[in-house]
Amino acid sequence: MEALGINVPGLLTQLISFTILVIVLYFFLYGPITRMLDQRAERIKSSLEAADRARTEAASSAEAVEKEMANARTEGQRLIAEAQDAARRAGEQIEQRSRQQADEIIARAEAEIAQQRDSAIEELRREFAGLAVLAAERVVERELDTARHQELIDSVLEEGLSNRQN
Amino acid sequence: MGKLISNPKLLLAAVVAVAILLISFLGGAVGAAFGLGFLGGPIPLIQLPAEYITEIGSYQLMNTFVMFWLAILVIIILVFLATRNMKEVPGRWQNLFEAFFEFFINLAEAAAGGRRGRMFLPVVTAIFLGVLFSNWLGTLPGVNNIGRIETVEEFMEIKLKKEFNAEGHGKLAKDVKKMGFAKFMETHGEDEHVEEVLRTFFSEHGQDLFVIFSGDSGVGFINLGRGEQWKVRLNQVVALPSNFDDHDAVDTFIHQVEVPRILEGVQPDEEQEWTATDVEEGRVGLLVPFFRGASTDLNTTLAIAIFAMVSVQFWGFRTLGFSGYAGKFIFNPIKDPIGAFVGLLELIGEGIKVISFTFRLFGNMFAGEILLIAMGFLLPLIGIIPFLGLELFVGVIQAAIFSVLTLIFGSLAIIAHGHGDHDEEHGAEQAH
Repeated sequence: MEALGINVPGLLTQLISFTILVIVLYFFLYGPITRMLDQRAERIKSSLEAADRARTEAASSAEAVEKEMANARTEGQRLIAEAQDAARRAGEQIEQRSRQQADEIIARAEAEIAQQRDSAIEELRREFAGLAVLAAERVVERELDTARHQELIDSVLEEGLSNRQN
Repeated sequence: MGKLISNPKLLLAAVVAVAILLISFLGGAVGAAFGLGFLGGPIPLIQLPAEYITEIGSYQLMNTFVMFWLAILVIIILVFLATRNMKEVPGRWQNLFEAFFEFFINLAEAAAGGRRGRMFLPVVTAIFLGVLFSNWLGTLPGVNNIGRIETVEEFMEIKLKKEFNAEGHGKLAKDVKKMGFAKFMETHGEDEHVEEVLRTFFSEHGQDLFVIFSGDSGVGFINLGRGEQWKVRLNQVVALPSNFDDHDAVDTFIHQVEVPRILEGVQPDEEQEWTATDVEEGRVGLLVPFFRGASTDLNTTLAIAIFAMVSVQFWGFRTLGFSGYAGKFIFNPIKDPIGAFVGLLELIGEGIKVISFTFRLFGNMFAGEILLIAMGFLLPLIGIIPFLGLELFVGVIQAAIFSVLTLIFGSLAIIAHGHGDHDEEHGAEQAH
């Protein structure tokens, strides 16, 4: 042992020195470093979890928005369809009404026309009758030949017609 | 080759490199064989035990202790830099230590399975850092070559004191210490114990090399230049009383040895007694370096090894309980003779691990130190450069081996004994 240089005081010196080193490192290196590493690991873990949560939240909200949009779209389509329907119905109604009105107007006009025609015919008939009576009176008054008769009638008719035309 | 010649810068560099290599080679140990060796230094006395710097009472302050404390100081400073201001986003030193810890945490958790591996970490990381910095500081310049000059008298005093103590002559040991070597030889030279001890001592140490340091300074360093021939053997510088020459041992002493030519001005004739202090303009002695790599001392490596293995046993007991851990080694020899034998072997193995730890680290680092010294002599100035790199590498490797082996032994120690039949017995008992 002596030749190797191993001796008790030397061994004790180095043992104590090394023990001091271990103790110092335990308190000033091992403790702080492992604490820091654990703290960081914890932090990374929690922030990863937070990120995960945020991602799922974002995904779910995107889904909700999508649903909302889909709803809105169908709603819009429904509204458009309804509006179109209403418009069509309204149009039909209007058309029908206007057709009805037109029919009524036409009918009224036709009736009026017929009435006027009837009254005109009536008037003509009355006028013709008067003319005829007049013509007859004249024929009777003069007692003239046929040619005169004819002449008279024609003149009466012509007179009547031209009157009428005026 | 053509490129080399055509590029003047490269050519110049090549010429300079070759010139340096040649100078280094001729100036070194090989050149010394042909009378050159102008860069050679005095070869230091390479010895296994650490050298002491100073003595405080009977406590010897060794140069390796100083280096170990220096290593510890460096570690503590680095740790202080790393942890004084810990931040979530780490700074440079903090990051380094965190990466280092992360490596060991992963390793420990892989070896021990889960978080309980963390209990190894304080010791394992301290071993890594302690060994690493002990190794690395040992490669610094100034280590092993700046130191105190131990004179031949001092050398003899210490050696003789040791020898006397070993032989059981406590009084002689005290006298040597008190009087100094020269005075002691005057008064006790005729003592037959002294003669006996001296004879054996000189037959063992007579050829030890000493160096003549120029000047009388108490602090010296092994410098490059003119050193190779500046060395003498112990038996060339130690004078003995004239009445001592009756013995056979005298053959190895100054009287019969050819007077070294370098001791200019010191031409002792046959009858003249002379001592080391007679050398003109110089001081004969040994360089006792103030610094020597801490892991080149067996005390250091043994201390760390003991600490490591005691920790391993502690982990074993703490995890498995007293009977659980002791049960790995101790079996009832009547019931289980093979188990008892194997347990005994394992118990011895635990002790062997201390020794293998100790000598693995010591051997590597001591050999490295000698390699650096040898390269310094073989190719002075440049030869050391690649080997410094090698030594830094070996330093890390040894630190890693020491710490990881401790970790592995620890994780083996906390595994419950896996004797299948025992478990079955327990299972059967519980079932009933």
